[in-house]
Amino acid sequence: MKNPLEAPRFFSLFVLALLLAPAIGASAASIPHGTVDIVAENQWITPGRQAYFGLNFRLDKGWHIYWLNPGDSGQPPRVEWHLPTGLSAGEIEWPAPQRLGNSTIVDFGYDDAVMLLVSMRASSTVATTEAVQLAGELKVLVCREICIPGKAQVSMALAIKSAPPEVDARSSELFAAARKSLPQKAPRDWEFKVSDQKDSFVLTARLDRQTTRAIFFPLEESQVDNSAPQKFTPDARGFQLTLRKSDQLLKPITRLKGVLEFSANQAYVIDVAISDDHIT
Amino acid sequence: MKRFIFFSTLFALLVFAAPQFIFAAKVGQPAPDFTGTASNNQSYHLADYRGKFVVLEWHNNGCPYTRKHYNSGNMQKLQKQWTAQGVVWFTIISSAPGKQGYIDANGENSYMAKMRAAPTAALLDPAGAIGHSFDAKTTPEMIVINPQGVIIYDGAIDNRPTDDVKDIAGATNYVNLALGQALAGKPIETAATRPYGCSVKYKGSWF
Repeated sequence: MKNPLEAPRFFSLFVLALLLAPAIGASAASIPHGTVDIVAENQWITPGRQAYFGLNFRLDKGWHIYWLNPGDSGQPPRVEWHLPTGLSAGEIEWPAPQRLGNSTIVDFGYDDAVMLLVSMRASSTVATTEAVQLAGELKVLVCREICIPGKAQVSMALAIKSAPPEVDARSSELFAAARKSLPQKAPRDWEFKVSDQKDSFVLTARLDRQTTRAIFFPLEESQVDNSAPQKFTPDARGFQLTLRKSDQLLKPITRLKGVLEFSANQAYVIDVAISDDHIT
Repeated sequence: MKRFIFFSTLFALLVFAAPQFIFAAKVGQPAPDFTGTASNNQSYHLADYRGKFVVLEWHNNGCPYTRKHYNSGNMQKLQKQWTAQGVVWFTIISSAPGKQGYIDANGENSYMAKMRAAPTAALLDPAGAIGHSFDAKTTPEMIVINPQGVIIYDGAIDNRPTDDVKDIAGATNYVNLALGQALAGKPIETAATRPYGCSVKYKGSWF
């Protein structure tokens, strides 16, 4: 602050930062090349109910973090929650990832910005209060050409009230977008089969529609070759997708689990038994 | 300029992307032969080491996962332990010039002196030829080759895919496991795992 001319600029940056601050109370913690904050879907926590929170990551252009299965390199973010008695956090609910990379190394993750959803359950006996502190220790690997491991303490204060939950309008758009990006359960009348054909798994989908594209993201590591092109063959009743086996797959597997994406915000979770027989 | 970028990208794709699926090495198959120039200025030919076990360690001194194993002394300990038993250990640096981890011979020699690293040699592979022939994806990725020249292990250094030094104690070290079992004449229990770490910073790679 030696130069008095700096002051107004500093002040306007400060105002700008306030304007850009996340919708809900918590302030953003910094991570390498970005920020993360907790966003609440509801205005308060209600005893006996489940509520959703988001870990809202904003990264500098071109930087990414990883999906649950990070692909050929990388590591997914992990959070260790420190919650008051009576509150418990669920697992992270992961949006369908993107393929990152262009050659022999392909990773799965999220570029630029993503919100990871976490459910929290409040026991019916939890006491109402003005504010409880929800805190988490986050470990995250942020990469572009290089990778930088980061740690952050994320926290927010929220009231516990006996009144039924009410959504917070300031975060509703973020939650709507985050839910859209989650893979859905596949409709019951869709059929999937996976046949084991030497170097590949062939996934056959029988749907109620035609698709022009399908990408499979394996949930488990070391089953499918991440960087191999996935051969997509559409037909009137669905499609076939040929997935090259991973070199690391030395023992036969019985099921193939993962996310099948048709287009942005249209992805499904599948868990299919693997058979030796060909289907027609 | 745009056209230049287009053609150089196309060139990079043709040269660096096309052959890789065909020649990638696999566990159970003969290791692709190579001759590499080391930071000590000597040339090393893989086929000369038939009759010995050979460990390949992909390396990038700026990668947090590599640093986990060097700052803790874990990698150096493995190098000393196994080379003392006649195993040949090559540290391989496939980072391209301008990419993270690229280092010249002098730089690597002083790094090794500082870290007290003790491989048989550190091979400089700035064109990525050795890396691509083994389809090495991460640093550290570890490959073990038996005295017959066959790959018997390819993958992670251990079962804790983090950059945290605290995770080394108590981890299952797959290199120790593979070499230990192979030297005892037993089958290798875990012959392939997903290598963890930073992507190898090849020429033409994105990240």
